[in-house]
Amino acid sequence: MHEISRRKFVALTAAGVAVAPLPIWGGVPGASVTAQQVADRIQKSMGGEWNDPKSVDGFKAGDPSATVTGIVTTSLATLDVLSQAVKAGANMIITSEPTFFAKADTPAPAPRRAFGGAGRRPGGETEATAAAAPPPPPAVPAPPDPVFIGKDEFIKKHNLIVWRISDHWAQRAPNPFAQGIVDTLGWSKFANGNLSEVAIPGTSLGALVAHVKAGLKSRGGMRVVGDPKLTVRKVALLPSSTPIETALKALPNADVILAGEVREWETVEYVKDTIDMGGKKALVLVGRVVSEGPGMQICAQWLKTVVPEVRSTWLPVVDPYWRPTL
Amino acid sequence: MSTLTAGEVIARMKANHGVAWSERSKRDTFKFGGPDTVVKGIATAMFCSYQLLERAVAAGCNMIIPHEDTYWNDADTVSIVSGDPGYQKKVDFMREHDIVIYRMHDNVHAMGKADFTWIGLARALGITQYEIPTLHHFLLPETTLGELAATFQKRLGDKALRVVGDPKVKVSRLQLGVGYATPAVNATDVDVVVSGEQQETDGMLDSPEYVLDANTLGITKGWIMLGHHISEEQGMLEMAAWIKGFVPEVPVQLVRADEPFWAPK
Repeated sequence: MHEISRRKFVALTAAGVAVAPLPIWGGVPGASVTAQQVADRIQKSMGGEWNDPKSVDGFKAGDPSATVTGIVTTSLATLDVLSQAVKAGANMIITSEPTFFAKADTPAPAPRRAFGGAGRRPGGETEATAAAAPPPPPAVPAPPDPVFIGKDEFIKKHNLIVWRISDHWAQRAPNPFAQGIVDTLGWSKFANGNLSEVAIPGTSLGALVAHVKAGLKSRGGMRVVGDPKLTVRKVALLPSSTPIETALKALPNADVILAGEVREWETVEYVKDTIDMGGKKALVLVGRVVSEGPGMQICAQWLKTVVPEVRSTWLPVVDPYWRPTL
Repeated sequence: MSTLTAGEVIARMKANHGVAWSERSKRDTFKFGGPDTVVKGIATAMFCSYQLLERAVAAGCNMIIPHEDTYWNDADTVSIVSGDPGYQKKVDFMREHDIVIYRMHDNVHAMGKADFTWIGLARALGITQYEIPTLHHFLLPETTLGELAATFQKRLGDKALRVVGDPKVKVSRLQLGVGYATPAVNATDVDVVVSGEQQETDGMLDSPEYVLDANTLGITKGWIMLGHHISEEQGMLEMAAWIKGFVPEVPVQLVRADEPFWAPK
């Protein structure tokens, strides 16, 4: 069925207001701050350029002039995460990934082009290959989408504000997404200052994978290239999504790359080839969203110093993936 | 001993293609060797990996027709990878075995209903009989997402298959994608999308998040990702049969590589 189940939708939204009393939020009694002020303080505190039109960061939903009751950080603001925020009394969500299911991140679907055979390759397409493709059909307005509408209604009903921080957070040094993984996996004492090198005590790839799976609470999102019995010490961390150029730089100096997401025709085949030609290497993929979770936990901790008026809390996202077992 | 050249094989592929062959494709070109290389045997393949090259040589093939890249980037731009020691090893192996590589990608996906990759994947998934007139759409007997994913995993031996969505949701209207061409999961006439690979977020439509939120709202959606390699390698069997039809001089066969991944329990 494709209509929103009203009963389920009402149950979902009602759950948020039924919970009482709200937890007592930390922060400065009597002081108040707006969402715009939170954004301004983050930008001022981090510095750098914030007017790049190519950046995906900024407000995605809600009224920036609203008073913030609490902040939730997350790597993916699913309806489940938004419900948890409402239950906890927080109305500002700071997320590293899109809320409205696309890079466009708008409450209604962007105009779409008809689905074509060869596929688009944002990770690998060059101007030369793009020019070889037939001219794309014209974009047509997307029909109303019940999932976009349901999420937008939920956000409006609960007066939530969504602000995205992705590019700028990843550009911090050291990369907080990498730092979050290091902290979560208990590797802080093995990492150098800029996290370019993490030298853990020697272990098997199989044991490393089990440790990462437990630490990041992965379900079915993990995929591994390499011999489970391989001894690994030096770990290169490539959270989020990375192109082949990044892997080509990282692999020679590491035993294993621990990455969020890579393109399979690039880094997966590169590591597989390296292994098949005798290299003692491995690649562990955990998924882009899971790889960014702990980095948003760091964001919540950091926000306590930048916005002391309200409480900031990290909400982890459940690994979106599962798999049946053969 | 046949004197068939790689150039002659490609000329026959163009002549038998059935759709106007695009010479503008930057993907469908020689990646190693050239038209004058004499062909002993032909291997159709998915990625032109080192493992694949070794297996092709063992099978007596020196002409590889892969669907995907050789040098770990889509445009097969050598300058991106030539600093890596693995690149030189791979090239040395190809030279030693007089390999010729011609990629066949865009001109496969230009074939519409005759596209080998979709035909081969539907065959391997066992759903060909459920195809409906809408291109790449299938109407299956109603099942659950969990049962469907388990069935597909067994049929393909797909160790690292990934699924998003409640295993208990009932699905019957399936849209098939291959490789990186993943259909939009929000189409109103689709319950479940099955495909190879897609970026997780920041795309045209971020399927994982969409399926999670759809399920939260009580809307039927599911997404099964097979992996790029497994999703398109199947159709290279059909491509081999096609080439065999107009190249009788030398053996033509699909040479498979292993799924690159394993998955922890």
